[in-house]
Amino acid sequence: MTDLPINYNRPLIMHIDLNSCFAIIEQQANPLLRHKPVAIAAYDTPRGAVIASSYEAKALGIKLGVNVREARLLCRDVIVMMPDPDKYFDAHKRFKKVLLNYTDTVTPKSVDEFVIDFRGSLAVQRGKSLIDVGHEIKADVKAALGEYVTVNVGIGPNRFLAKLAAGLHKPDGLDVIDGHNLEEIYRQLTLVDLPGINVRYEARLNAGGIFTPLHFLHAPLPLLKKRVFKSINGYYWYLRLRGHEIDGVDFGRKSYGQQYALGEKTIAREKLSRLLMKLCEKTGRRLRANNYIATGIYLWLSFENRTYWAKGKDTKADIYSTQDIFLHAQRLLNQALIPARVTNMGVTVYKLKPTTPEQLGLFDGTRLDTKSLARAADLVNDKYGEFTMVPATMANMQDVILKRVAFGSVRDL
Amino acid sequence: MRETINEEVSVVMYYSATKREALPWLINWQNKDYAVGKIGYYHKVKVGDTLHHIFELVDKENTQWFRLNLDTSNLHWTLEAIHDGLAY
Repeated sequence: MTDLPINYNRPLIMHIDLNSCFAIIEQQANPLLRHKPVAIAAYDTPRGAVIASSYEAKALGIKLGVNVREARLLCRDVIVMMPDPDKYFDAHKRFKKVLLNYTDTVTPKSVDEFVIDFRGSLAVQRGKSLIDVGHEIKADVKAALGEYVTVNVGIGPNRFLAKLAAGLHKPDGLDVIDGHNLEEIYRQLTLVDLPGINVRYEARLNAGGIFTPLHFLHAPLPLLKKRVFKSINGYYWYLRLRGHEIDGVDFGRKSYGQQYALGEKTIAREKLSRLLMKLCEKTGRRLRANNYIATGIYLWLSFENRTYWAKGKDTKADIYSTQDIFLHAQRLLNQALIPARVTNMGVTVYKLKPTTPEQLGLFDGTRLDTKSLARAADLVNDKYGEFTMVPATMANMQDVILKRVAFGSVRDL
Repeated sequence: MRETINEEVSVVMYYSATKREALPWLINWQNKDYAVGKIGYYHKVKVGDTLHHIFELVDKENTQWFRLNLDTSNLHWTLEAIHDGLAY
């Protein structure tokens, strides 16, 4: 079998991401924080996990996942802040608006990164350089978000190489990877520099005799498919590494969920139940706002002793109102073994189907009333603000579960 | 260090028809005037039906950061937080 050739097509996919997104937006908003180590943490208490840090903080070793206490040990003067999700969502929307001025094929990959497909762009087809477009976008982002905000731009023949290019010269980089320089770029990198390859995949590749990105590129398809990945993923990597597109599929919404890191860890089931209700309300609001019904629910808890419990259940009845979600989630919680104080909990509803057309069950009883009540409560909360009208279980729980930024999906924005 | 304030404050605002922008110009908080310097970030937030304008800015001396909230339901200004740019 002959090897699939490297893709020498003109690189027309652009990956663009905001540098140290949350931290740089805070540094833009507050000029007194610029050029200083800044860490955005889930909580500003010692155990709060850092979720983003400025380049100055990263240079001192304050990276994603360290806690506030460790961050302060690394740099006594690090400025620790809690996240401001509304501001980041606003920045995401402005960022997207800038990109939509260039082409309508803009795909958000997360709150701070986008993929732009220029294959249909007339200006680019007529010969406009994508490097020039990249520089224009950088200037436009500064005009839209502020002069301190910088972006990395990567250009490639597929999404994978565009993302790899965007990561080559952080911050404020602009690089192109195409069929001509692909091997030269791979030569300078390690396996874990490739987006999607973590240390576990690296070990798997090493076991297959692959130790560098160049080995990976030249590895025969049967080795990748049958020995290394033992699945279709081997074929996907074979295509991806050669610059052929395999990641251009945008999967639809499959679930809605909320998670919460407990500020005050607890083993008390009553407290957990109240927190669970608030998670269910947030999940339900998003489910209903997007006109879905779910028929599956999943609850997970993680504990102080680093153990984990999770259980999912397919429900016979539709899940729509907050009460529906809570009822099923509470049943799961009642089955949970809680060996230590709970540190994190999350609830997800899945097996989604659109609310219309609606299938009415013969034995649903007052289901319509529950739905009407949920819709009425949502209208009240739309008008007067979140948690204006809440189930009694949630009384006096304002600010107990804070608004958070989802790192992955931005479909609801 | 960031401090949460959440106090109503007096604000002088101007509107420029040429630039088509409305911005705070002067803040009076605890009987002291702060001339507005650089606006770092401005965004809007909806709380229910009510639109809030959030201005994050520093004073002219570049020593104090302010987060101001204009509630469009009553046109009241709230100073939500301040920061001196230091960790502690």
